[in-house]
Amino acid sequence: MNKTKSRRAFLLASATGVNAAWIAGNYPGILAAQNDLQLAAKAGERPRLVFFSDAQAAEIEAVAAQIIPTDESPGAREAHCVYFIDRALAGFAKSSQPVYTQGLLDLQAQAQQLHPASDKFSALTSEQQIQVLMAIEKTLFFRAVRTHTVIGFFSRPVHGGNFEKAGWKLIGYDDSLNHKPPFGYYDAEEVRR
Amino acid sequence: MRRFSTSTEVDYIVIGSGAAGGIMARQLSMAGFSVVVLEQGSWGKYGREHEYNKDEWLQRNLSDEDRLMSDPSLQRNTWRPNDKVKAVPGSHSYGCVVGGGTVTYGGSSWRHLPYEFREASYDPTIPSGTSMADWPITYEELEPYYTQAEWEMGISGLRVNSPFVAPMTKDYPVPPAPLKSSGALFHTAAKKLGLTVVPGPLAIITQPYKGRAACVNCGICSGYGCQVRARSSTAVTMLPAAEKTGRCEIRVKSYVREISVDNGGRVTGVVYFDAQKREVRQKAKAVVLSANASESARLLLLSKSARFPDGLANSSGMVGRNVMFGNTVNVGALFEHPLNEYKGVISGAGIVDYVPSDTKRGFYGGGRMTARGYLTPFELGLDGLSPDAPRWGAGFKKALREEANHRMTITSFITQLPMDSNRIDLDPDVKDAWGLPAMRITSTAHPDDVKNMEFFRQKSIEVLQAAGATKVWAPPAGEARGGAHNRGTCRMGNDPKTSVVDKFHKAHDVPNLFVVDGSNLVTGGRNHPTMTIQALAFRAAEHIIRDAKNGTHRNA
Repeated sequence: MNKTKSRRAFLLASATGVNAAWIAGNYPGILAAQNDLQLAAKAGERPRLVFFSDAQAAEIEAVAAQIIPTDESPGAREAHCVYFIDRALAGFAKSSQPVYTQGLLDLQAQAQQLHPASDKFSALTSEQQIQVLMAIEKTLFFRAVRTHTVIGFFSRPVHGGNFEKAGWKLIGYDDSLNHKPPFGYYDAEEVRR
Repeated sequence: MRRFSTSTEVDYIVIGSGAAGGIMARQLSMAGFSVVVLEQGSWGKYGREHEYNKDEWLQRNLSDEDRLMSDPSLQRNTWRPNDKVKAVPGSHSYGCVVGGGTVTYGGSSWRHLPYEFREASYDPTIPSGTSMADWPITYEELEPYYTQAEWEMGISGLRVNSPFVAPMTKDYPVPPAPLKSSGALFHTAAKKLGLTVVPGPLAIITQPYKGRAACVNCGICSGYGCQVRARSSTAVTMLPAAEKTGRCEIRVKSYVREISVDNGGRVTGVVYFDAQKREVRQKAKAVVLSANASESARLLLLSKSARFPDGLANSSGMVGRNVMFGNTVNVGALFEHPLNEYKGVISGAGIVDYVPSDTKRGFYGGGRMTARGYLTPFELGLDGLSPDAPRWGAGFKKALREEANHRMTITSFITQLPMDSNRIDLDPDVKDAWGLPAMRITSTAHPDDVKNMEFFRQKSIEVLQAAGATKVWAPPAGEARGGAHNRGTCRMGNDPKTSVVDKFHKAHDVPNLFVVDGSNLVTGGRNHPTMTIQALAFRAAEHIIRDAKNGTHRNA
């Protein structure tokens, strides 16, 4: 990191708070961290976690899987959204770390309150999980997980989610960035007339 | 690139490199003058546009180097509805990179219509209590410069003969963007309702033009830099040509804090902060201010001196007044078959029948309905489904699957009445990241503007239903409190008591200061300002060059 960069980081920090400064200082590192995601994907392995513990990741994955469930097509689980969130929390979404750390504790408490026999959200039945999430859907934590799950589901696979373009396939999004008309049903029909 | 020392008195400093500044830099340097362009943003991917990203996650987390828009946490601003209340933090933002807003805009390039230059005396629907005024120039005077701008920049479109569209003396240089499904549905509705559909003129080329490639309809468009250089920004059209003259230097990360004057009231140069926030003085024989209507006004107000205690060029007290941000109305709908609106340009066809104001409606107001529906995958997933769709769970996934690509939106771009009380000034308490008084926005829509929003909301519902929508939703429209379409703060006029610049953009109070940008617009048009700003810039440049060569500035 050269001198100019750290000075800019300092200026940004004084202006916008730590997050923007942190991004300015760590941008190249964030991009480089994507390499091992790609290597893991190529090797057919699950990526390494960088922020969550295995137990935390299992909880977040269970929440994400309720936000975009698996049916006849892949959901958040198959799209590896939890790996996107894990990378995001170590990177651009670093400022959300406390929301997740506290939110995971609250999730466990909420799960136990409704289902005293269970100590983990991920161990509940799907119906029980939905019940727990309905009780917390207005919280900052749930809104953060929803936002990051959706972003992970639809972002470029290089960031860890949208594995094998599962999200884009669900919505019929063609990522070729090069399209020729007709684009849709109605313009094709108009041309036929 | 040519570099000038700060102690060299260059012929012109151009403040801002956007829609107008880029044109001024090119025209002045090509005419033989030395020019320093001061741009507060970074280079972006100037000259290596293929490196612009199309990655939504990176786009939401741009590095300092890659940021394309101003950041309200740095270029801080505040907003209040009127001067009785204290302003709260605002979210006003604008293009902030070499090329300014033209690097990322949707590219709409509608001309003002002839009557929009004389609405104050022509239009009986204009209510009292507003500051509507006639322009000091006519459409006919500006028409050749519209043509020049369209051909120099590269605008796609179709010349049509309609009372709802400005008459042209020459075709567009390249044909319009291909019809999208939203445009086809406009045609369906228009046939039933007897309306007029016109392809939108766009600063996006559809055929190779002047060494640039045609649009590939990538679909990740507005808000992003164009990788194939099809968007006709000043960064790929004007500024490279300016640099090539060897007489123009573009200085990035240069945040101007003052336009300096001597005891005789003439501009001597500017003071700006460089990337390290060091103060730098640059001397110049004259200054062209093209920083956008909000920042140009603020900079004049910041440039106080013994001779100009109320800010530079402000003897009229009009600097900053009559700001218009432009109101838009969005109405969404779903259709049975896929539209795939995410492919291609953002703004397709327009319905233009409601462009004029009409006494029968009982209020002043008009506008243009544009066919849209552009949603990126993030936008669709985060907040793009119909309002009663579930936000998570099986129902959410079902809605994602069913609504994706079936969505269309009508965005109406409508008039806004200029009002004296709507203004830009300096916040007495809040400072920007450079320690300067932050911009304060005071703005409230006129009651007629509110009625107009509701009119377009209802008309949009009617059009979408006639097009065969299976579902329509129309949330109440809110007024704009900032944004890139800002206009009106340094209006042009013949009377120095009621305007800031003359009809050739020279400040009434200062012989060697020119303001050329959206601030000069006397009326806001139908909220599509860029083409008029660019035509004005070509016209201003021609007159400034002529006067400079005749020595008129020095003698004034």
